[in-house]
Amino acid sequence: MIGRSTSPRNVASAEEPIVYVVDDDASVRDALRSLFRSVGLRVEVFGSAPEFLQSKLPDVASCLILDIRLPRLSGLDFQVDLARAGIHIPIIFMTGHGDIPMTVRAMKAGAVDFLTKPFRDQDMLDAVTAAIERDRNSRDEAKILSDLRARFGTLTSREREVMALVTAGLMNKQVAAEIGIAEITVKIHRGQIMRKMAAKSLADLVKMAQTLGLQRAAPPQ
Amino acid sequence: MRNQKLKFSRSAEQSLLGGMALAWLAAACIWLVLGPAPDIADHLIAVALLIALFLAAMILVHLVGSTRKQMEAELDSRTRAEQRATEALRESEAQWKEVFEHNPVMYFMVDADGTVLSVNTFGAVQLGYPVNELLGQSVLKVFFEEDRDLVRNSVAVCLNNIGQTHSWEIRKVRKDGSALWVRENAKAVRRQDNRLIVLIACEDITERKEAENALRQSRNYLAEAQRLSHTGSFGWRVATREIIWSDETFRIFGFDKAPSVTLDMVVRRIHPDDRAGAQQNIDRASSDGRDFDHEYRLLMPDDSTKYVHATAHAVTDASDGVEFVGAVTDVTEHKRAAEILHEAQAELAHVARATALGELAASIAHEVNQPLAAVIANAAAALRWLDRETPNLKEAHTALESIVNDGNRAGEVIQRVRALVTRTAYQKVPLDINEVVNEVITLLHRELFGQRTSLRMELAPGLGLVVGDRIQLQQVILNLVVNGIEAMQPVTDRRRELVIRTHQDEGRQILVTVGDCGVGLTAENADRLFDPFFTTKSGGMGMGLSICRSIVESHGGQLSASRNTGPGATFQFSLPMQQEDNTP
Repeated sequence: MIGRSTSPRNVASAEEPIVYVVDDDASVRDALRSLFRSVGLRVEVFGSAPEFLQSKLPDVASCLILDIRLPRLSGLDFQVDLARAGIHIPIIFMTGHGDIPMTVRAMKAGAVDFLTKPFRDQDMLDAVTAAIERDRNSRDEAKILSDLRARFGTLTSREREVMALVTAGLMNKQVAAEIGIAEITVKIHRGQIMRKMAAKSLADLVKMAQTLGLQRAAPPQ
Repeated sequence: MRNQKLKFSRSAEQSLLGGMALAWLAAACIWLVLGPAPDIADHLIAVALLIALFLAAMILVHLVGSTRKQMEAELDSRTRAEQRATEALRESEAQWKEVFEHNPVMYFMVDADGTVLSVNTFGAVQLGYPVNELLGQSVLKVFFEEDRDLVRNSVAVCLNNIGQTHSWEIRKVRKDGSALWVRENAKAVRRQDNRLIVLIACEDITERKEAENALRQSRNYLAEAQRLSHTGSFGWRVATREIIWSDETFRIFGFDKAPSVTLDMVVRRIHPDDRAGAQQNIDRASSDGRDFDHEYRLLMPDDSTKYVHATAHAVTDASDGVEFVGAVTDVTEHKRAAEILHEAQAELAHVARATALGELAASIAHEVNQPLAAVIANAAAALRWLDRETPNLKEAHTALESIVNDGNRAGEVIQRVRALVTRTAYQKVPLDINEVVNEVITLLHRELFGQRTSLRMELAPGLGLVVGDRIQLQQVILNLVVNGIEAMQPVTDRRRELVIRTHQDEGRQILVTVGDCGVGLTAENADRLFDPFFTTKSGGMGMGLSICRSIVESHGGQLSASRNTGPGATFQFSLPMQQEDNTP
């Protein structure tokens, strides 16, 4: 997720995906810009990794096309830096022949694709389309998760406790015994939880608990 | 003495006449007294005659007495004279004997058969014999076996030409077997007893002969040395235009040995292409009278070409004229060998270059791939711009322009690589060394990247040009840079940085240095670094630096290596700057 504020110029086209290209070779850079623009993609090119990092990145679906052999800061190091900075952008690496060990490293570090120079235009466009789709999906998932977290945030600590036990499969009676309250009280909490979390069914609530990584607290000694 | 003799004979005649007068007077007296008619008158006459006779006798006695005294004195003086003469003769003989015996000339007197009749002491001593051991022996005894025929013949010649002096030079052998050289003067004479003898006088000429031999040997050595070294000598008196050549010089110029050599002969032989230059050198030398040293080609009658190198030193002769003493060397073989060596070196350099490029294949592929990737992407973009519902010609045009540029760029890389790989003729042209450095670096980006090495270039602007072969100089730089990169491979604790510098020193030299911060040089390796087949790399052939050095040296420069004060090593080569009047 790109956690930077959007610049004013990007507000108007906030929903339009952007392709970022980082390559020290101006020819390749410019050729890619022309190619992406010819299919109507927004594109931003950079000559080096620091240039890319210094620019304001809008909060839209995007992907990064990176030459694996960048001078000074290599594409791989850059990939690591981005991950450390919590910038999760799908990366497509451009590699040369004989760069297999580097490619393996890149893929392990989460690159979505790699293309060997010179590449077919369609391959590049397909890779970009897939990467943007992926970014869009992950952005959607992230949105769902953040909504869920916000709703979970509205629960009281007792309600969270009850939710953890209920979604772990305990009956109301067992929950009541577990935390030492009346069964009727458990029922009230449960109703509150279902409403606050906007769960349609217990199964729905269980899924939510899984998404949130909610776990039953260890039973008291 | 003659006068005395005359006087003596005159007095003897007088005594004789006196005696005869007395006898006549006595006879007359006797006739008067005892004759047929004696008378008084006659007696008186007889008495008178007797008195006269007496007187005459008295006179005669006196006369005879004085004559005898005179004769005795005469005889006495005669005896003494004789004694003196004998003594003088004896003295003279002794003197002559002395001369004969001890004159530093060996005298032999031999008979017609060659038997020694006489030899002087000096002669015998010279040969190490006592005189008596030679007397009566054949004179051949003092000659070497192989020379004896010559002796016999020479003696025979003398005997056939009596009275004529003949001379010859020959070796004699001493009693101890050692040899001496003599010059013999001999003459046959007929003795009173009608026997023919040969008188021989000989002088020792061993020293002269040795000197002559030494001189001859020295001349032979010189001639042999000249022949072996293909070096002839010459002398040239400028004023008299007199030129003297050694045999080898004649041979080099391909002329038969002649008593006189002219400058025209020399010039005629010089290759037409070199003639003007050589003539200029000759003219300058003759007018300036300064040492000269030049090289030119000769075109021989059989159309072959010879390379000669002439060098001469000017000396001032007795009459203040300038004379050149010089040597001319046939350097054709040397030239050919140098050419072959040069060929071999070029071949080796070429192989090394090809090998180095092979190792850089990935880097070179990258350099071609970059523009190729751009070309393909641009071409695709151009198509898409054109395929749009409303074709965007402007964008398509821009993309196509880029294709042209990138295509050219890829072509240049390939050309550069091909130039390095193709075996081209060595070509010296004026070059900007910075340009050469940049051309090499364009092939090495990926290599530098792959080894995580950063490159710092400090190329001095506005450097003078050097004259050299672009490809070979690129090879040197390539080699030094790749070596530097490799030297930094083991380095993990510091930044790997390669520095390439160019600058010009005070002495009109362009210097190129390639410094690394790698493993550096050990003292032991530093000495052997430029030796062929010396390598510290597991996969290296060890020819790289050796080839680099020979390339730099063939450009009139020097390649050296030094240890950095910090980590690593620095290689530097110098190249002379192009001279203004240099005609490549």
